[in-house]
Amino acid sequence: MASPSRVEVLTLFRSLLRTARDFPDYNIREYTKRRTIDGFRQNKDLSDPSKVTAAFSDGRAQLEVAKRQAVVYSLYAPKVKSVMELKQ
Amino acid sequence: MASALRSAILRHIRVPATQVVSANGSRLTAVRLMSSHDDHITKDEVINRVLDVVKCFPKVDPSKVTPEVHFEKDLGLDSLDTVEIVMALEEEFKLEIPDKEAVRIESCEQAIEYVYNHPMSS
Repeated sequence: MASPSRVEVLTLFRSLLRTARDFPDYNIREYTKRRTIDGFRQNKDLSDPSKVTAAFSDGRAQLEVAKRQAVVYSLYAPKVKSVMELKQ
Repeated sequence: MASALRSAILRHIRVPATQVVSANGSRLTAVRLMSSHDDHITKDEVINRVLDVVKCFPKVDPSKVTPEVHFEKDLGLDSLDTVEIVMALEEEFKLEIPDKEAVRIESCEQAIEYVYNHPMSS
């Protein structure tokens, strides 16, 4: 597999952030968002094409996991909101 | 079978046809509840809210933010930060910006234009 283009990487980043929003539970929603941002930041200086490709396919696999888990978690949505979600 | 049941039920149901009349005797005018044209946000409000979102971004120096500022050239952000800001704008204005259009938003000016011209922004 050829190494992914800049646009493909940014699209994967955006897709992961969009999927993170779908979690009804505050803690998991924020964790998924944080984990996505940290993961991309950690790998932003990769230059070896094989490492870039490996990181990209790992990200794609994680996107599938996140999508699936968002559906599962939506079946068991918390009945009360987290205190962090309350507006001051 | 179903139609016989339907007519049997309908024969016993009566819905009174009344006219809604307000206190001063005039008939109520229809309100366009789903219309986005009458209460569309003003340009000033869009500018203020876009700038607030950008200023709240952790890596941004709030004093540098102006309506003309470019995310990468002026604020020293990278492409990942830009994606994060566009996502934050989506949440602020309750929009869903397609990927093709999201990549073209690279400055406050472009963000303000996009949000202001979007019929669903609120």
